[in-house]
This record gives sequence, structure tokens and C-alpha cells, in this order.
Amino acid sequence: MVRRTRNVGRLLAGLFAVLLVYLALVQVVWGPQLTAAPQNPRLALAAERIHWGRILDRRLTVLADSVGTGPAQVRRYPQGLGFAHVLGYRSRKYGLTGVEGRYELALLGLPTTDPWQAVQEAFGRTPDGNDVVLTLDAAVQQTALSALGSARGAVVVLDPRTGAVLALASRPGFDPSTVDAQWAVLSRDPSAPLVDRATQGQYPPGSSFKTVTLTAALGSGRVRLSDAVTCPEAINVGGTLIHNFEHEQFGQISVLQAFVASCNTAFVQIGQRTGAPAIVTAARALGLGQPVRFDLPTSSGYVPPLRDLGARGLAQISFGQGSLLVTPLQMALVAAAVGNRGTMMSPFVVSQIRAPDGRIIRKFTQRGSRDVMVPALAGEVAQAMVQVVRSGTGTAAHLPGVTVAGKTGTAENPHGNTHAWFIAFAPADRPVVALAVIVENGGVGGQVAAPIARQVLAAALAAQTAAGSRP
Amino acid sequence: MTPSARRESHAGGGGSAASARPAPSTGAPALPWDARRTAERGLVAAAGVLGVLGLITVHAALYPAESWDPVVAGAVALAGFLVVHAALVVADSRGDEVLLPVAAALSALGLVMIYRLRPDYAVRQAAWISLGLTSLLIALGTLADLRWVRRYAYLCALAGLVLLVLTVLIGVERNGARQWLVIGRFTLEPGEIVKLLLVAFFAGVLVEARPLLTLPGPRRWREDLGRLGPLLLVCVGALLLLVFQRDLGLAMLYYGVFLAMLYVALGRLDYVLAGLVAFAGGAALCYHWFAHVRVRVDVWLNPWADAAGRGYQILQGLFALASGGLTGAGLGRGHPELMPASYTDMIFPAVGEELGAVGTYMVVALYLLFLGRAFRAAIQADGSLDRLAGAGLAAAIGIQTFVILAGSTRLIPLTGIPAPFLTYGGSAAVSNFIVVAFLLAISDRGARAAVDGRDGQAHP
Repeated sequence: MVRRTRNVGRLLAGLFAVLLVYLALVQVVWGPQLTAAPQNPRLALAAERIHWGRILDRRLTVLADSVGTGPAQVRRYPQGLGFAHVLGYRSRKYGLTGVEGRYELALLGLPTTDPWQAVQEAFGRTPDGNDVVLTLDAAVQQTALSALGSARGAVVVLDPRTGAVLALASRPGFDPSTVDAQWAVLSRDPSAPLVDRATQGQYPPGSSFKTVTLTAALGSGRVRLSDAVTCPEAINVGGTLIHNFEHEQFGQISVLQAFVASCNTAFVQIGQRTGAPAIVTAARALGLGQPVRFDLPTSSGYVPPLRDLGARGLAQISFGQGSLLVTPLQMALVAAAVGNRGTMMSPFVVSQIRAPDGRIIRKFTQRGSRDVMVPALAGEVAQAMVQVVRSGTGTAAHLPGVTVAGKTGTAENPHGNTHAWFIAFAPADRPVVALAVIVENGGVGGQVAAPIARQVLAAALAAQTAAGSRP
Repeated sequence: MTPSARRESHAGGGGSAASARPAPSTGAPALPWDARRTAERGLVAAAGVLGVLGLITVHAALYPAESWDPVVAGAVALAGFLVVHAALVVADSRGDEVLLPVAAALSALGLVMIYRLRPDYAVRQAAWISLGLTSLLIALGTLADLRWVRRYAYLCALAGLVLLVLTVLIGVERNGARQWLVIGRFTLEPGEIVKLLLVAFFAGVLVEARPLLTLPGPRRWREDLGRLGPLLLVCVGALLLLVFQRDLGLAMLYYGVFLAMLYVALGRLDYVLAGLVAFAGGAALCYHWFAHVRVRVDVWLNPWADAAGRGYQILQGLFALASGGLTGAGLGRGHPELMPASYTDMIFPAVGEELGAVGTYMVVALYLLFLGRAFRAAIQADGSLDRLAGAGLAAAIGIQTFVILAGSTRLIPLTGIPAPFLTYGGSAAVSNFIVVAFLLAISDRGARAAVDGRDGQAHP
């Protein structure tokens, strides 16, 4: 009986041991994630009594701060509304988006570790949340926005060495502080101002995808830059005629020349020699067709599965049409990976959490990387991209004194005029900037997107120089 | 064999068949009996002081302009533990010195949390604690010698079943599933009283049946079943009544205590396994038959599916625990009031929110301390009746605590049942303090028997 009594006690002790482990998980390990759940009303209550932290750019320029207390607290945007999609809105009705949503706990300074806060609060002082420092450079972002002008579109600028996002511009924009009042208008506007086109806009990539096709072709070993292909005005694939842009034709040219001149009919042949499996595999390896892991929500885009690709499908994706869809962030990452000798750095836009007194609480330098192609292959593709800007379709992106590597795209789409694309990195040999530009229904990539890219590249290179050699 | 013929002397030690075995080894050496009360006094005083400080903190932080009555009432109620301690000194008790202080600490924390969550209930909870302590003293004075259990075992069972039937017939639903009896201005939670009655019944019947059921030789299930019949009948009857009135927490508690006592008394693992299989089968059938059981389980498995409706309470419990983090928001600085039933079923997550993992670990540690001492009292008990009753009471407190602590944190499905000493409520206070009285009496007799036994050997 004694032994059995002891056994019952042991069994209960075991149950309580399980409870203790579980409590540690809920309260400490899973705590922050659970606390941030949108179903938790505590955050909204905390937001009423805490002075929200500021959101700063990488030079600590204030992008968002707040005035007022309690329910009357509102955000102000000293640098204008151009950061709206990244910062996001905080609405009592429609929730929180962007950095406001993802870093809500940090901005409210939760969970509180500072015992003085309780004391200060007891004396009626509103406690401050923590500041969130972004990787964005306000100057680059402003340049991107003004270069886009009133056009619908997006610009993504990255540091290819780290994945730090320098600009994430999306047009049209909105005023986050009026979301509650303007919801009906904003949510129904056909130009979808609330959508962050940079991370969530899904577009056919057009010829900018030839960068991917070329990577697959050279990587497969079946195609070399010097191989000969023909560039007729049109090519018949399984009964369908595929035309070149503006009915150009160049006769017999090299693969390199086909890339530089962006010849569709030649790329159909390159795609046929490479084969659909290699192209689809390369596209997926470069992060297309899946959401990018990022601080903000991203769309996946679309890469058709192999079984859906007949001869015609293969021909169409070879030059970036068909059912392919990509986001500007994905294409900027492709350019960055080529520039960074085949290593794709995971993108991030939040670099620090700072206490109200400026003390750095958390710091993010990079978020991991993936080797997506061997350096030699990246070098070959990069050389081809340099030629595009030097003598091909992308000469409008040329900058004096800097070698720019790029690729244009002019994507046909069901919504009217072609989308103008440009992806690029610079300086070509040791890039510190990579970007993607899209202008929706803007026309020809080399004429519309490349000049925007030139302005943004110039501003970004200057900003990177000003930021010093530190990445 | 009549009950009176089998009466045994507690002081005699080795007289009866039940206590024929040598005194068990006691694990950690206990304090000398006179030092026990000194330790108890210090610990009870410390628990009381901490409780009063907690009440003052809550008062200053949340209700500075209100009356001080709750703080005063709380202080008076906590001083009651010193009165009980004094009574133990006067009675020359050699009972365990940790049980009372742990009950005091948990009651103090409960009082502080109730004052924070429902200030209008704080004075009443203080009164319930005083009532519970009074019951403790009365039980110590009148019921502590548990030999009455043998004689009145069936009366206890009858009383328990009658209470449950009454609850089904004229019970009033409060706090969701729990049923209460309304008597004039007071509401009675019969489940708490029935808990005591059932432990008494199980102990009485099993102690009688034990010598016959533990005879060496081949076991015959049919014969055993005949001897255990009344036990099974009462147990199944209670369970059916509880399932019909939706009180699944109590059903789990009673059945767990039944299995634990059956195992301790008979050591028949095959019965325990059969009991567990029957429980699993019964649970499956209940899930199949009763919508309210299905809802409980489904909400447990996926509270997010109906986050604003049925999953609300358990999700708020999780948010409360999570937002407490390691050290908690601080008393009065969290939002445990967002949880329905925060001062009853969800008081443990409320502690987690305001006092953090430090607080929840402290509460679990207090319960483990209580259970450790309760089981020690059972192990060192003098005679099988005391041992069985002690094990049953310890198991009852342990299972009840686990069911509500694990339930309110979503480790297991939530079934409303009071957390001993912590939760608001008078019936629970009375019943749990009577448990303390019995455990004190059992450990007192055990300590005396051990001393007598040693004396007997040293000086024949």
C-alpha cells in the first residue's frame, strides 16, 4: 500500500511536470507569437495607453511618429505618404498592416521588461514603445516615387550583398491615417491603391525573364553564349506563330546577341534546346512561383508545373509570357543574385528595434542566403546583362562612370498596353545596388522603365556611397 | 464480521491485520514534532503578510478611492490561519507543518486575485475562507478520528448520491456548465461536498473489502465483482448524474479518485487498466452522444475555428498566459478581466497574465508541496484506513488541481471545477479545508505511531 500510494503521488507529479513544461512553452517560447495574434484584444488596449514607437529609415530619418494620447493618438508621416505600403496602416476597424502590423509588439514596447515603466505610468506618464529602424533609404525611396511619377507601378531596390531593401515604392499610394474614413473608396478603387505592388503585384515578366531562361540554358550545358541561333520575324511552334517585338528580325546571331537584342524567336529556340524541365527548375531555384520570405506579406507569382507545359507553353515561357507571373520583389532578387555571384540574400526591411533612449534592443544584419547558381554562371549572365545596357535594349539605363548590368522587359497582358520592366544591378563587377522597375501598361521596357531605373540607380549608388563602405 | 468487531486502535500500532506490516521508511526525516509547529507559525505568518501586502498593492493600484474593507476583511481571514495554528499547538498536534501554510499561501493569492478581478467579491471570499477555517477546526474536533468512516460508508454514499440527484432535479446553472443548489440566500456547490463523501465511502468500503480481495491465490473476477459491486454502482451512478448535468470536470475527478483508491487498496493493475479502458470507452460514447461533450473537445482541439464564440474563453486564457510572459504584467496591469469566469475557472491564467511564468510556477510549486506533504502523510499513516483515506484525499486534491490548471491552459479540454484554495467559492473552501483537517489528523496519528513504535523497540 505504501509503494502504491507513492506511485499515485509519482504519477500526479509527472502530470504536473508536463504542465510546467507546457506553461514554459505557452508563456515564454510561444508567448510573443500568441500575444501578437489578431484575436487578442490586449494589443488594442495596450495601444491606447502606450505612445507608439517611431518608424525610422536607415539614417534614422523619421518616417512615422505619433501625436496625441489615448484613443486620440494618430500617426504623422514627416516624409510624406510615399512609405505607406511599407509602414502600413493602423485601423481600429480593419486591423494593422505593414510594419505597423508585423512589429506591433515592438512598437508598443511589449512585453515590458522595464520595471520603471510601471512607476512612470503610476505618475501619469504615457510609456513609449520601441522605435523600429528600417533598411529603407528615404532619399532613394523619394527618387523612386518621383521617377514613377503618376504612373501605376513599383520600384524595388536592394543591397545584393545583404538583402537589405533600400526602397520599396508602389504607386498609387494612400494616406494610412485616413483608411478608416476612406475605406469604402480605397477598397473599391479599381487602381487598388492599398495593394503593395512591390511585394504583392503579380505580373507577366516579359523579356526580363530571359535572364532566367539564359541562366537555365547556360547552366544546362546545352547552350553557350557563342552558339548560333536565328532571329526571324516569326516562328511557328505547333501551329502557333510567335512574333518578335515590332516584327524585328536579325537573321543569324549568337545567343549573347539574342539576349542583348531581346529576340523572342531566338529565345524560343534557346528554350527548346534547354528543355522545359531545366527552365522550370531554374525559375523555382531563383525563388519564382513561391512567396518570398520577408518582413511583409508577399505573393507567390506563378510558374506553371511541367505537366502543363506543351511545346507552345515552353516557347512562351522562354521569353517570359504564357502563364508566368512574378512580383517586382522576386525580379529584383533575381537581378541581385546574378550580381552577387549566384548567392541570393534573403530580403529584409527591418534592421533594428531601438528602445526610446536609443539603446539597440535587437539588430538584424541579414536573414540568410541561398546559392542559386555557381559563380561562373552568374558571371556569364552578368556579362550578357552588361551588354544589354552598353549596346542593347537597355541603353537608357546607362550611367556615366558606372557599369550597369540590366535587362528590359515588355510584357503583354490582358489589361491593355504592355507593362514596362527593367531589372538591373550596378556596379556590374561588385554590385552594391540591384533593382526592379515595373510601370503598369507603361509601354516599352527600354523606353519607359530603363530611364526610371537610371535615376533610381544614380540615387541609390550615391546613397550607398554616403552610407560608407558598410553594407 | 461486524464493523465494531474489526475496530482497531490507532495508538496500538501493530494490532490489526491492516497494520501488521512494519512501519514504512519515511523518506526525508521529519522535523522533531515540537519544532514542526514553530516552523508552521513562521510560514503561516509569512503567507499572511504576503497576502496582506498583495491586497494593499491591488487596493493602491486599482481602487485607491474605495473602501479599505476588502483589505481589512482579507487580513482578518488570513489571521484565521494563525488561529488554526494556535489550536494545533493547544491540541499538541504532531501533524505536518507545511500543509496549513501552503493552504494559507494559496488562499492569500486567491484572495488577492479575486480582489483584483472582482472587488465586490473580495469581502465574501474572505468570509468563505473564515468559514472554511471554522470547518477545519470543527472537523479536527469531531471527525478527525476517521473510524466513523467504516460505520457510515454507505450513508456517505447515499448522501452524496442524494445531493447529486437533487442537483439534477432542482439545480441552477451558473457559470456555464456547473450546477448549484440554491438554499435561501446561499448557493451550494454540491460537487465539492460529494467529493469528501465519496472519498469517505471508497475508503470505508475498500478497507473492509481489502483483506478478502488481497488474499493470495488465483483471482476470480466474478467474486471480486460481487464484493466491489456497491462501489462500482455508486461510482457509475455518480458519473451518469454528472454527465447528464454536464459536469465533466467533477466526473473526471470522482473517477480518478476511485481508480487511485482502488489501486492503492488492492494493487490490482488489471482493475485499473479495465477502469481506464472503460473510461476511454465511456468518453468516446459521451463524445458521440452528447453535443456538449463534442463542443468541449472540438473547442479544445481547435479554438481558433470559433475564436469569437466558443473558442473565446480558452483563447483569452492562452493570450493571458502569453502576454504575462516570464515576469507578468504586474498586479492590476494586465487585462485578465477579458476572460469570462476569470475569478473562478480561469483564475490560473489570470495569475499567469499578471504574475507571469514566475507566478504560475509558484502556484504549481505550492500545489506540489501540498501534494508531497499530503502523500507523505498517507505513506506514514498509521493503519490502512488512514493510509487509504489520506491517499484518496491527496489524489482528490491532485487530480482536481491538475484538471483545472491544465484545462484552463488548454493542455486538456477545459472542464469547470474549482482550483483548491485559489478559486472563489464557499463550498470549495469548506470542503478543501476539511481535507486539510483530515490530512493534519492523519499525519498527527502517523507521527505519534512512529514515535511509539520506536519507543516500543528501544524500551521493551
